[in-house]
Amino acid sequence: MSNKTTIALLGQPNAGKSTLFNALTGMNQHVGNWPGKTVEKKEGSFTHNKKEYAIADLPGSYSLTANSDEEVITRDFIASGNADVVCILADSSQLERSLFMLADYAGITVPCFLLLNMADIAKEKGKNIDVKALEDKLKIPVVLLSANNKKEYKSFYEALEKAVTNKTCLDSSRLEDAYSNLEGYNELKAMIPEGVISNYSSSWIASKALENDSVVLAKLENTMSADDYKKVDDIRNAVQGAVLTGGAKFAWIDEILSGAVDSKKENVSLGKLDRIYTHKFLGKPAVILTILLGLIMSFIPAIPIMGVGMAFGSLRVPVAEALTSIGAPDVIISLLCNVVIQSLAFICQMLGFVFGVTLIFGMLEEIGIMARVSYVFDNTMAKLGLQGKSVMPFLVSFGCTMGGTAGSRVIENWGQKVLTIALAWAVPCGAAWSVVPMLSTIFFGNGVFVVIVAILITMLLHMWITAKIFGRGLVNAENKYGMIMELPPYHKPKWGALFRYVLGRTKDTFLRVVTVVMLVCVVFWLLSYSFVEGSEPILFRIGTAIEPVTKFFGMSWELFMAFIASSVGKEGALGVIGALYNGQNFSGAFYEAMGGGGVAENLNELLAANVSKPQALAFIFAITFNMPCVVALASTYQEIHSAKWTAKIAIYYTVVALILAMIAYHVGLLIW
Amino acid sequence: MRLAELNENKEAVVSALSGDNRFISRITSIGLTPGCKLSVVKNDKNRPILVYSRDTMIALNRKECEGIEVTEVKE
Repeated sequence: MSNKTTIALLGQPNAGKSTLFNALTGMNQHVGNWPGKTVEKKEGSFTHNKKEYAIADLPGSYSLTANSDEEVITRDFIASGNADVVCILADSSQLERSLFMLADYAGITVPCFLLLNMADIAKEKGKNIDVKALEDKLKIPVVLLSANNKKEYKSFYEALEKAVTNKTCLDSSRLEDAYSNLEGYNELKAMIPEGVISNYSSSWIASKALENDSVVLAKLENTMSADDYKKVDDIRNAVQGAVLTGGAKFAWIDEILSGAVDSKKENVSLGKLDRIYTHKFLGKPAVILTILLGLIMSFIPAIPIMGVGMAFGSLRVPVAEALTSIGAPDVIISLLCNVVIQSLAFICQMLGFVFGVTLIFGMLEEIGIMARVSYVFDNTMAKLGLQGKSVMPFLVSFGCTMGGTAGSRVIENWGQKVLTIALAWAVPCGAAWSVVPMLSTIFFGNGVFVVIVAILITMLLHMWITAKIFGRGLVNAENKYGMIMELPPYHKPKWGALFRYVLGRTKDTFLRVVTVVMLVCVVFWLLSYSFVEGSEPILFRIGTAIEPVTKFFGMSWELFMAFIASSVGKEGALGVIGALYNGQNFSGAFYEAMGGGGVAENLNELLAANVSKPQALAFIFAITFNMPCVVALASTYQEIHSAKWTAKIAIYYTVVALILAMIAYHVGLLIW
Repeated sequence: MRLAELNENKEAVVSALSGDNRFISRITSIGLTPGCKLSVVKNDKNRPILVYSRDTMIALNRKECEGIEVTEVKE
C-alpha cells in the first residue's frame, strides 16, 4: 500500500470536475478506460505540502442510482474503499439542484468534503453563501471557489487536509429523519443488516432499495432469505420510491440552504444570445455560424505552428543534397528525408490546427456555448444515437478530420465520442476537397457539380449506416434516451488555465501521433523502397499482382497505389498518379508525391490517356471515403485510447471505400 | 395536464411523474419532483422544452417529458 492519499471527485456533469482535475494534476494524468467498460477512466496525481495525492475523476453522472455503467463504476469505486476522501462538487450558481449529488451521497461512510464551484457566477447572480453555516449543518468542510482560478485553491487544500485528518463524515441524520416519514422506508431499513455493502449504511441501502436500484436489489436477494426478499419486493412495489426519496432529498437540501444562502429573486428570462440560439428558425443557422467562426478562429493560433511545419518540411531537399554530397548511403537518406523529416513536417502542420481547435472549442465549451449547440441539434443527432454536440466535430472535419477528432473532446460520454469520430471520418476533409473537384473537372467538366452532390449524399448515407453498425457496440441504451440536461449560465473563460491545458494536450497528442505516424510511414517505406538495385519494391509487386482484383473495383494498379497512398495523405494522391503514369521510378515517385512534390504538368493528358470515366469515378469515391490520413488515424487513437476501436474504424473505412469505388465504377460503366 | 401542453411563460407545479426507473431517477436528480415549481421558458415544436426550476434552466426532450404531469399555477 502506498502512503498516497486518494481523492475521488464526484459531481454531476457541468459541475466542473474536469476543470478541477486538470488544474490539480497539470499534466500528471492518465486517461484510459475502466476495464471492460465504455467509460473513460481519468487518474492523476499531485503533491501539496510534501504530501502525495492520487486523484480519480469519477465518471460524470446525475445520481448514484445504478442506471448506467457510469453510476455503477462510481459506486463500486467508493465501496471498494480505494478513496480516502471524496470531494463532492456542486455548482454554487445552481445550488438547489446541484446539491442533489450530496443528498444522494448521504449515508455513505467514506469521509468527504463539499466543493461549491463557480463562486464567481453565484456572486454575479447575487447569491450570498454562508460557508460556515453549511459546514455546521453538514459537519464536513465546505469550500467556495471558482475552479478555473488556481489562485483560489488555498481553501481547497485546507479543506482537503481537514477532511483527511479528521475523517469528516457527512451528517445524514436529518435526511434519515425525512426518509423515515416515507411509506415503506422504516420496514425496509429494519430488514437490512449493516454492512451488506461496505461503506454504505443500511439507511442508504434502504433508500436505494426503495428507489428500485437494480444492483442493491440483486445484492439483497443474494443475502436475504427468499421470504424476506419477497417482503422487500412487496414494499417497494407498493410505492413510487424514487419520487418519494427524491422529494425527501430536495426537502433536506432546502432545509440545509435555508439561512445559509440568500439570493435575489431571479429573472428567468433568456439572455439576448440565448434568444437567438433557442429561436425556432435562427437557432440552427446561428449554431452552424458559431462553429464555422470557431473554425476560422482556430486558424489564427494554428498558422504560426503550421508555418514551422512547412519550414521544417522544406529541409528535405537540402538535407538530402548535403547527405548525398558526403556520400551517405541512399537507404539512410531516403529513410531520414522521406520518412522522418516528411512525417514530422506533416504532423507539425496538422498539430497547429489541433492546437487551434482544442483552444477555441475548449473555450466555447467553457463559456457554455456547446451546451446550446447540444440543445439545438438534440433532435437531429439523436437519430444517430448521438448528442447535439456531435455536430461540431462533423463540421470541423470538413476542414480537417484531425481537428474534428480533437473537437470531439467536449463529448463526455466515451461511446458517443468514439461514434462521433467514426462518423466524422466520413466527412470529406479539406485535402479531399482540394483533389476531388479538380479530378472531377478533368473528367466530367461541368458534371463536377453532380459528382459533388453525389459525394455529399453518399456521405450522409455513409454516416447513417455507420451509426447503425458502430452504434450497437458503443452507445448503450441509457444514452439513447433524449436530452434531460441543464443549460449552464454563461461563464467567462479563464485563458490562462485553458491555455496551459491545451498546450499540455497538444504535447501529448504530438508524442502519441509521432509514434503512430512514424510507425506507419516506416512500414510504407519498407514496402515501397527498392533495397536491391534494379529490383521492384514489394508494394509495386503486390499492386501489379493483384491488379485483376483491383480492376473489379475500377482501379488499375497505378490508381490502386494512389488509393493506398491516399490513406497516408490525400494531398499526395494526384502526384502519385501523375508520377506512376509518367513511368517514373516507383519509390521515387511515391515519395516525391507524398512530400508534396507537386502534380505533373501534363496530368490532364496523362489521365485522359490512361483512365476511363468509370475508373475516374471509382477512384474519386475511393479516395474521398478512404481513411482521412495517417495523422487522423493517430489522433483518433490518442483521443479514444483504444487500439481495438481505432483499428476497427480504419479497416472499416478502407473496406467501405473499396465497396463505394466498386459501386461507382459499375454505375459508371452503365452510364458511359 | 402534461408539461408539453403548457404555453410559454406559464408557471406550474409538478403533480406526478410516471415512467421507467431510469427516467424517474434522472428526472428527480435534475430537480423535477412532485410539488416543485417550474416555469416554461420555451416550448417550440421539434426542440427540447426549456423550463426553469430550482435555480436552473433545464432542457427536456419532448418524448422524455411525456411522463411529467403538472398543475398550472394561475396568477
